[in-house]
Amino acid sequence: MKKLTALIILFAMISHEANAFCGFYVSKADGTLKNKTSQVIIVHDGNRNVITMYNDFQGNFKDFAMVVPVPVVLKKSDIKVVDQQIFQLLNDYSQPRLVEYFDQNPCNRIMEYALPGKVAGSASDQKIENGYGNHKRTLGVTIEAKYLVGEYDILLLSAKESSGLKTWLEENGYKIPPSANEVLEPYIKSNMKFFVVKVNEEEKKKLSGNFLRPIQISFQSPKFMLPIRLGMANAEGDQDMLVYAFTKQGRIECTNYRTVSLPTDKNIPLFVQNDFNSFYSNLFQHQWKREGRSVAMLEYAWDVTPNNFVKCDPCVATAPSEQDLVQAGVWWIRRNWNDYSDVNKEDDYSSNVFFTRLHIRYNRQAFPQDLMFQQTPNTENFQARYIITHPATGDFNCEAGKNYLKGLRKRRIVEMETLTFLTGKGYNDWDVVDIKNEEKMAPGGATYQAAALVAGQKTGGNHFLILTLLGVLGVGSMFGIGRKRI
Amino acid sequence: MQHQTNAPDPRYFQLVFQLIFLSYGILWLHWEANWVHYLTCISGCLFFNYSMESFRQRKFLPLVGKHGWMQWGFSVMISAASLCLLLKTNHWYTALLSAFLTVTSKYVLRIHGKHLFNPSAFGIVATVLITGDAWLSPGQWGSDAVIFFSVITLGTIVVTRVQKLDVSMAFLITYMGLLFWRQVLVLGWPADYFFHSLCTGSLLLFSFFMISDPKTSPALPAVRIVWAMLIAVVAFYLSAFRWQNNTPIGVLVLAGLLVPVLDTLFRSDKFQWKPTHISSIYSTINF
Repeated sequence: MKKLTALIILFAMISHEANAFCGFYVSKADGTLKNKTSQVIIVHDGNRNVITMYNDFQGNFKDFAMVVPVPVVLKKSDIKVVDQQIFQLLNDYSQPRLVEYFDQNPCNRIMEYALPGKVAGSASDQKIENGYGNHKRTLGVTIEAKYLVGEYDILLLSAKESSGLKTWLEENGYKIPPSANEVLEPYIKSNMKFFVVKVNEEEKKKLSGNFLRPIQISFQSPKFMLPIRLGMANAEGDQDMLVYAFTKQGRIECTNYRTVSLPTDKNIPLFVQNDFNSFYSNLFQHQWKREGRSVAMLEYAWDVTPNNFVKCDPCVATAPSEQDLVQAGVWWIRRNWNDYSDVNKEDDYSSNVFFTRLHIRYNRQAFPQDLMFQQTPNTENFQARYIITHPATGDFNCEAGKNYLKGLRKRRIVEMETLTFLTGKGYNDWDVVDIKNEEKMAPGGATYQAAALVAGQKTGGNHFLILTLLGVLGVGSMFGIGRKRI
Repeated sequence: MQHQTNAPDPRYFQLVFQLIFLSYGILWLHWEANWVHYLTCISGCLFFNYSMESFRQRKFLPLVGKHGWMQWGFSVMISAASLCLLLKTNHWYTALLSAFLTVTSKYVLRIHGKHLFNPSAFGIVATVLITGDAWLSPGQWGSDAVIFFSVITLGTIVVTRVQKLDVSMAFLITYMGLLFWRQVLVLGWPADYFFHSLCTGSLLLFSFFMISDPKTSPALPAVRIVWAMLIAVVAFYLSAFRWQNNTPIGVLVLAGLLVPVLDTLFRSDKFQWKPTHISSIYSTINF
């Protein structure tokens, strides 16, 4: 008998294979961290939603399958496959970025540079296996529709009760984790349908390339949400999801979790350039914990309207073109100007496109509910941007040069403090510092090692102070204020 | 007529607690503090309220004192704090409009000498609807237990001082009951799903700081309990079955229209914040 294991990206049951870290972590303390990243594009306006799901399944395509709860039965024309390049493009464009600046020797003439630097990668590794057989029995499960789209066989199921659905899925070769029941039941009762996908081997053979293309579905529903609960059914530990959202109006934000902007525009030590990926991984993990885990992190927000020419500052990759946006599912920017037959229909043409990238690290405990979103008119641009500054070189014998060195030492202390604030790690945790090399780069002995010693002596306690202050204020107001009014 | 009294004006607490919440949001929850919005809301509210009150009394009011600040400045500060806490705007002129709508609703939309709408709720809803440049962030408080308990306790203090815990509790218990029925009993979500819905600061803040406003709820206790329950039912329906956000505040504004009808049908004495010492003018204009 074929070994059929359970599957799923994104919304369904993720198998237990240990995935490789994306990048690596500086500290070994974070060894338990799992980096299962799924990526999804969600385009929303009014009641219309277009969702594109990406997985980089590696392995035998026979074993691939995916179950996604959807609010309505999708028509065949609502489902298509798109080029996976779009995910790479969006990811590259919106990633957190490292920017580098160069100090000028004040004893020489002044010049300015600002160069775009590196970006943090967030490749996703996800193992998905499965396939379903042909045996079909009722069990309260109805096959609402059956399509062949691209290389995929697609079924739309509705079910009357979760045990029937579970049996059906099991009989068709899905290994359903026991805990999936607590999630399947509410979905069925909320009248959700189940979008079940497997690879059609015949069709797959006709295509070149050893990968699966993303599936894009579009549907009408007032529910602006992503069902993540099914994906947690058998997953232990944390999973990551990158949400690339496009709206006409402005940023999206979660309505049932806090949406937090990452600390940005911070000056960080020069040596971070050796491994920006690790820096960012640690930063994300540290900030995620600091914010209490039940949060969606804002990594990028920008007006990407095709005729807006400032699409990033600095740009680390090409901004998505109009064609890319259309491929991502942004339907409203496309308009056939010669065809006025649809003018009387709901004409929602608009050239405005706002892009939001949210990064959500979720687990069962911190995320009891699916992700609900709302569109806001907030059009403020945001990017996660970190700055390194190369020191000046040369002779610093003039007065200004001496002052520069003094300033450099101070600045590096602040940079070390910022590093610790951002990542929770200090100089000694950073095993990629090449000390000899670093000293060469540090005029006048302004090394980070020296700066770290000073920075390490200062410890925080600010929060406690503020808390106490607020408490005293509150209690004071209860007893004191207004008591003696006449 | 002046009396010595030990009961402090509950609006002091209200204002102080709102400022605490704002600091909590900015310092702890790392809101992107929009100082332009805060300053515009506060100064706008003060300016419009001073102008309106001066116009109403046909004289320029003194800036300080019992007939000055206490009459035109203090009560509107609570509305201004609500605008800072709940509303977000892209531009200063939108914030100014929200201040204008908040204050004007208090002076213009009046029936039987009582303002029709909760001023800040009206200002918020109207600004969102009219401009499309303002929004609320229901998720901004997260679901931390800390804020849950602090809002409960602080809110209780505020409302018990005004003897209107009945409205808050009627709303909250009905809304929680319906959520429990829908999420746990009908759909079968586990308990933590339900608790997550309950613990949003937005719901609690609404219950204890907005719907509890004695000036815009029906006068008779039994009536206002039913009125609060009605708001809970409609708000729940719109959010659970129509997938709308921020429904309690929107429904509260609509329900304001019912208050004069209910008050005419069921008569009772009008509420005064401090009936023992406040002059007649004081009782007519209040938050």
